[in-house]
Amino acid sequence: MKWAIETRDMKKHFGEIRAVNGLELKVKRGETYGILGPNGSGKTTTIKLLCGLIRKDSGSARVLGCDIPDKKVMNRVGYMPQETAVYLDNTVHENLQMFADIYGMSRELFARREEEMLHFVDLSDRKNCLVTTLSGGMKHRVSLACSLIHDPELLFLDEPTVGVDPELRATFWHYFEELSKRGVTVVITTHYMDEASHCTRVGMIRLGQLIAEGSPAELLRATGCTSLEDAFLKLARRDDK
Amino acid sequence: MNIRRMLAFTRRMLLQFRHDRRTLGFIIAMPLLMMLIFGYTFGGDPSNLKVAVVNLDEPVALPMGSERSFADTVVENLDDDTFDLEVYSSLEEARSDLEDGKIWGIIHFPANFTSNLVLDLPPAGNGSVPSTIGVYLDDSNPNIAGVVMSGVQMAVKDTVTSTLEDMGMEQGTEPVQMNVVNLYASERDIEFIDYFAPGVISFAIMMVTTMITIILFVFERRNGTLQRLLASPATEGEIVTGYALAFACIGVMQSLVIMTAAILIFDITIAGSLLLALLVVVLLAIGHQGLGIMLSSAARNELQAIQFVPLVLFPSVLLAGLFWPVESIPQYLQPVSYLIPLRYGIDAERSIMIRGWGICEIWPQVTVLVLFAVLTLGLSVLILKKRR
Repeated sequence: MKWAIETRDMKKHFGEIRAVNGLELKVKRGETYGILGPNGSGKTTTIKLLCGLIRKDSGSARVLGCDIPDKKVMNRVGYMPQETAVYLDNTVHENLQMFADIYGMSRELFARREEEMLHFVDLSDRKNCLVTTLSGGMKHRVSLACSLIHDPELLFLDEPTVGVDPELRATFWHYFEELSKRGVTVVITTHYMDEASHCTRVGMIRLGQLIAEGSPAELLRATGCTSLEDAFLKLARRDDK
Repeated sequence: MNIRRMLAFTRRMLLQFRHDRRTLGFIIAMPLLMMLIFGYTFGGDPSNLKVAVVNLDEPVALPMGSERSFADTVVENLDDDTFDLEVYSSLEEARSDLEDGKIWGIIHFPANFTSNLVLDLPPAGNGSVPSTIGVYLDDSNPNIAGVVMSGVQMAVKDTVTSTLEDMGMEQGTEPVQMNVVNLYASERDIEFIDYFAPGVISFAIMMVTTMITIILFVFERRNGTLQRLLASPATEGEIVTGYALAFACIGVMQSLVIMTAAILIFDITIAGSLLLALLVVVLLAIGHQGLGIMLSSAARNELQAIQFVPLVLFPSVLLAGLFWPVESIPQYLQPVSYLIPLRYGIDAERSIMIRGWGICEIWPQVTVLVLFAVLTLGLSVLILKKRR
């Protein structure tokens, strides 16, 4: 099975607002796919639809070969929301333990994965600290570790670098590239156009529709621009016409 | 102090309420609601107390020529607002209903009540065979037992006084004796703390569980943890039940602390099963946790969440029989108390701890609490599903 994600004419309306309007999306297994678009373009709604957090109005969507929403497939999926989304009054270990229990991990497997993940996000020495005592950047790293504890095949990251300082953003992209090398499919939403250059492929969305798709180099070549930001603006103007 | 800067804060704060009409409505409506609830529920005397009358008295021909039963007069003199009298033909039948908690007391007139009273009245009165009334009281609620007792005393006094006046005599010694039988105090002294402790336990569980759940779930939504849970294999039912169990544990811990303090410091005794008392606490905690989740879904932020506190708190405090019996709130408000789950928790805890009742006696209250828990948990799951 080639596709990790496959949507056809997926639509989601909130009253008069067409948040996702006939989205056609295909993400290959093992690639890092960036969903790129300005605020309000439908990025977060797309991720929520694919995670089964909200139901689509029409169209089809398959994740790892399963029609969604499907609770079973969520065992193989990780999700990191925009917010910190960890329990501040629990320790790092307690947060990881809860998610490990939710994913039905054995004690031995959890012990190994916890060590790996804490090393991965550079928090080994903070295992027993209350999350509330950690810095903002560390909290984000705990959140990432919680998304990865069960070794997912597919990871959804909803604007993971919003409000994150440049140094941590660079660190996060290093993490995502590492995950991609390990064969994890990473779907990441961002409105930072420069960040998208780290992705294998990028889908530019606007008003809930895909307006262009390809590798960063392909998109630059097709638009004749030197930056993805310029390429997006050029494509958006063309779309308006 | 810079007045302009200071007023800038004031202005911003007041403008905030323009955008949050619900909070503005709450600020205006809540004091009004509090005034109405407190005004109508505080300070009333218990009324419409179900009390049995077992009247075996036989009429006696009086010196004035008429035939009369003084027991009838005592019954007539009982206050209509305080008592809701039911006539029983035998004392045994009435005692059975008293023990089952169906009535608050029994007023028993023996067959020779009037004849003994006539013999005892001056000038013939010698006090050798005193006229007696048997008063049997369910003293699990000291307030109500006190009201029943004083109501009977008042009626007897009025009867004796008016009779002597009719006969043109002056009252000498007390011509009627009361044999008071307390249903529970024969084994131990029932004090107000015995009545109060079960209420405090139930109330603490309700308050802590509802309030923490409301705040917790608003935080879960705003912090993104709930989304993360819903995007995992965990089902809505598992999430709700998991939290319910946590609150049940907290409820049990709280109850044990309160009971231990009440036993060690205030010397109360628990007449019934401790396990049954804890089961009621668990049901209360689970039900109110469900209620908390439901209410939290209607709040966008912590400020709106906190507004539910008085909405849950005041009706429960005032109408569930925590401080004063439900019978003392106005009659038209009494049916509302049936809608408050805390009432059933308090009733059940009091029956277990004071009367020593078991599940065979408190099953109606337990059933209501089970239904409440199932309903609120079911609705909580539906609410979480509906957000999808």
